[in-house]
Amino acid sequence: MKFIDKLFEREARKLAQTSGRRSLLKGMGGLLVGGASIPLLPVARAAGPSQPVDEGDPSSCDYWRYCAIDGFLCSCCGGSANTCPPGTEMSPVTWIGTCKNPADGRAYVISYNDCCGKSSCGACLCQRDEGDRPAYRPDKTNDINWCLGTTSAAYHCSTAIVVGVAFEE
Amino acid sequence: MRWLILGIGLLTCSVNAAEYLAARAHSNYQIYCQGCHGPDGSGAGDVPRMLGHVGSFQLSAAGREYVVRVPGSATSALSNERLAEVLNWIVYEFSGDSFVAAFEPYTAEEVGRLRASPLNETVNTRAAILAELAAREELDQGDDQR
Repeated sequence: MKFIDKLFEREARKLAQTSGRRSLLKGMGGLLVGGASIPLLPVARAAGPSQPVDEGDPSSCDYWRYCAIDGFLCSCCGGSANTCPPGTEMSPVTWIGTCKNPADGRAYVISYNDCCGKSSCGACLCQRDEGDRPAYRPDKTNDINWCLGTTSAAYHCSTAIVVGVAFEE
Repeated sequence: MRWLILGIGLLTCSVNAAEYLAARAHSNYQIYCQGCHGPDGSGAGDVPRMLGHVGSFQLSAAGREYVVRVPGSATSALSNERLAEVLNWIVYEFSGDSFVAAFEPYTAEEVGRLRASPLNETVNTRAAILAELAAREELDQGDDQR
């Protein structure tokens, strides 16, 4: 213990004799200003924010996320653009498209999960169909009933969930 | 010091390039595969579970080919290069305990060759591949047999 006391005392005295308070301030100041000028390290920004700035009315067919939808909007049926109305079940199997968000000009991957288990909602039919392909491209057609993997195949309405930013090359 | 800075710079570039390719593969997975296979490869309904299982296919040549020749892969709208990228991403991301250490990433050339003959029938082919692996005791009990 004595050794540590001695060591610190010696070092503290040495520091006090060789440096003034002003030079300490100078050093600290330089460190602060200089540190700020070092550019930020390159970190991954490719993925970007997965949840976008959202503008518009989700109960209107013009809403940006509905660019490839074909069905009744769950927002008008007691649910929302992200959730199913009570008493229905969201299909885990879904068709996926991309839509450009006017708020930031980026393309987002949208999952049009259908809500199933009740007869058709009948409100706010919206058919924009951008990127819809014929049935011989089954993964890219919205004309088939996507109530797959649910207990009931009865179609009620469609959601439009943002699953990520589409990769732009 | 100069070499150290250069080294860090090169390392940063290669890490960024790998991240770039992984981000592209993930996005293509979302657009072309996720609708049926789910965000994490867990599948749904009749769609087989890839999560924790998909690596097993690398235990046999037939299994490795199956992953490319299955219609979802072979007839997808992706180019050979992009398809190879997505398949490799799937093997790395979803294999979990089924990952085979000796896994050789698919190349665009290999994918192009295999996808030229897509499978007409998948359910029995898949079952036969898994049964053969099970007979060799390469698969653990409880591995997906669908």
